[in-house]
Amino acid sequence: MNPTLPLFFWSEYRKRRKKAALITFALFWGTLSILLLMAFGQGMSAQFRVAFSGLGDTLIMVYGGQTSLEFEGLPKGRPISLYPEDVDFLKERIPEILRAVPESYTFLQVSANGREINRTVHGTTDEFSLMRTQVPRMGGRFLNAADVAEGRKVAFIGWKVAADLFGAEDPIGKPVVINRVPFTVIGVLQKKIQDSMYNGPDADQIYLPFYAYSQIDNRRRVNQIHIQPREAGQSKLIEARVRTLLGRKYRFDPDDRYATSFWNTIEDAKQGLAIFKGIEIFLGIIGALTLLIGAVGVTNLMYAVAKERTKEIGIKLAIGARRRVIVQQFFLETLFVFAKGTFWGFVTAFNIVYLIRLAPINYDSFGIEAYLLRPVFSLQIFAAYMVILAVLVFLSGIFPALRASRSNPIESLRYE
Amino acid sequence: MIELQGITKVYRTGSQVLEALRSVSLTIARGEFISIMGPSGSGKSTLMNIVGCLDTPTAGEYLLDGVNVAGLTFDQLAAVRNRKIGFVFQNFNLLPYATAWENIELPMLFDGKNGRKRRERVTELLNAVGLYDWRDHRPSELSGGQQQRIALARALANDPPILLADEPTGNLDSRSGEEIMAILTELWRDGRTIVMVTHNDHIAALSERTIRLFDGQVLP
Repeated sequence: MNPTLPLFFWSEYRKRRKKAALITFALFWGTLSILLLMAFGQGMSAQFRVAFSGLGDTLIMVYGGQTSLEFEGLPKGRPISLYPEDVDFLKERIPEILRAVPESYTFLQVSANGREINRTVHGTTDEFSLMRTQVPRMGGRFLNAADVAEGRKVAFIGWKVAADLFGAEDPIGKPVVINRVPFTVIGVLQKKIQDSMYNGPDADQIYLPFYAYSQIDNRRRVNQIHIQPREAGQSKLIEARVRTLLGRKYRFDPDDRYATSFWNTIEDAKQGLAIFKGIEIFLGIIGALTLLIGAVGVTNLMYAVAKERTKEIGIKLAIGARRRVIVQQFFLETLFVFAKGTFWGFVTAFNIVYLIRLAPINYDSFGIEAYLLRPVFSLQIFAAYMVILAVLVFLSGIFPALRASRSNPIESLRYE
Repeated sequence: MIELQGITKVYRTGSQVLEALRSVSLTIARGEFISIMGPSGSGKSTLMNIVGCLDTPTAGEYLLDGVNVAGLTFDQLAAVRNRKIGFVFQNFNLLPYATAWENIELPMLFDGKNGRKRRERVTELLNAVGLYDWRDHRPSELSGGQQQRIALARALANDPPILLADEPTGNLDSRSGEEIMAILTELWRDGRTIVMVTHNDHIAALSERTIRLFDGQVLP
């Protein structure tokens, strides 16, 4: 195409664009709707992912249980417990496992700074932080390998525990007495959103090195073992192999669903994400339909323009315009009409998303706002929007343009 | 050279059949200035449309510079109108939204001429018709005579060898009409072929040859 023609079309369009004002508004509105709906949809998905990863990153939790099937002459109803050594037992035998840690917990009296509270206290190892998203606040740290190996009397506490015991003071390096044994606080959990939990949110928990914990809780068995697979796709396989290996060790039927139990967060996350993806697509479709109303307006306008300009088209054909030129002009004008409304819709949606994201989220009473106040304006949304827009521009422009280009020069010239 | 052989044009509207032209044969040499006369409905405009490649005959052969126009596509005909033929209409047919300058520039845009060439040519034409100072005015801000001069300038934009004028003075006062005729005569002297439809004997007298049409036939 000759580059000067679009410029000429633009100058022709400028003279008539006032007529497109209402349609421009419809396009603005449609663009705003589709972009905001998609941004909120994707934001909710993203926040679900964040909230879910508040519990942990691709985790399988293994618990003991009670047999429900007779096995090798043993009766059903036998309790099955897990022990600290089972962690290495499983890790050595299942190469697909990346990390595995034990966790025990009990409800204990905790005091510091003259205040006394009751909280769940956990014993675990250093790799727990990587698996359960335990990010320390600045100035502190989680348990490390030496803490665990030497059974040091140190504690990592949730931010609510810190607030309950120390108020606004920095708890790092301060003593905390747990079940009459003194510990030193080495880290405070950074705020996070967490939608899945056992024993309440991590904000309320206290973590100790496993062997230090053993000294205040004399049960030998562990409450659960956390397993992180090398690849998320191997979670089902690992589950089956854990059941088989533990069944061989503790003598229960590997098909016994109650001898051990699993919380496979990978499978949960998959389902959750599918639901949110569904919502995302649904919102996108609603947005696209809103934009469609604007597009119908443009088609209507361009039909009117084609009729109104019959004579002009006749003149252009008479002085040598090819059909292509007429079609191009209609398409470009359609594009200009779209460009104005959609541009401002885009800018407005972008700013609304930006402003909403500035709103704070209350991490202590994690609720609906955590999902709603974090809309996302991603490249993916932009691409989806552009595809929908391109289809609508094409459909709005093609019919009026073809109609205009099919005109007969003589009849068009006679048209008044 | 324009050669028409047995040109017939039939319009059908429903059951009605109208023979606008009946076997018209006509040869117009390069550089000729001819006028076509005849009463309303005699087929003058239809003949002009066919000569101007705006319309195609129902039967007969039209050779323009030896090329049979019937064999050309819509876009090829558009290219012929763009480069070989300039049109001047009774009602000017300028684009109402465009300025004088833009109207003159348009045929060159369709021909894909570059900006510098277009600027030079539009300036030259505006000066030739004496309306350079009116270049930014829209047709509605110009008098009839001025509009027709702009239309003439537009017809000449791509320097076509043939000018077709359909009652170019029909809507003008006599003074403006004379101005237009003076320009047309000058263009003919420069070597252009001019075919003009007119009702006016005085104006027809300015041409070299007059063809009279009646009921779609050329009178001998």
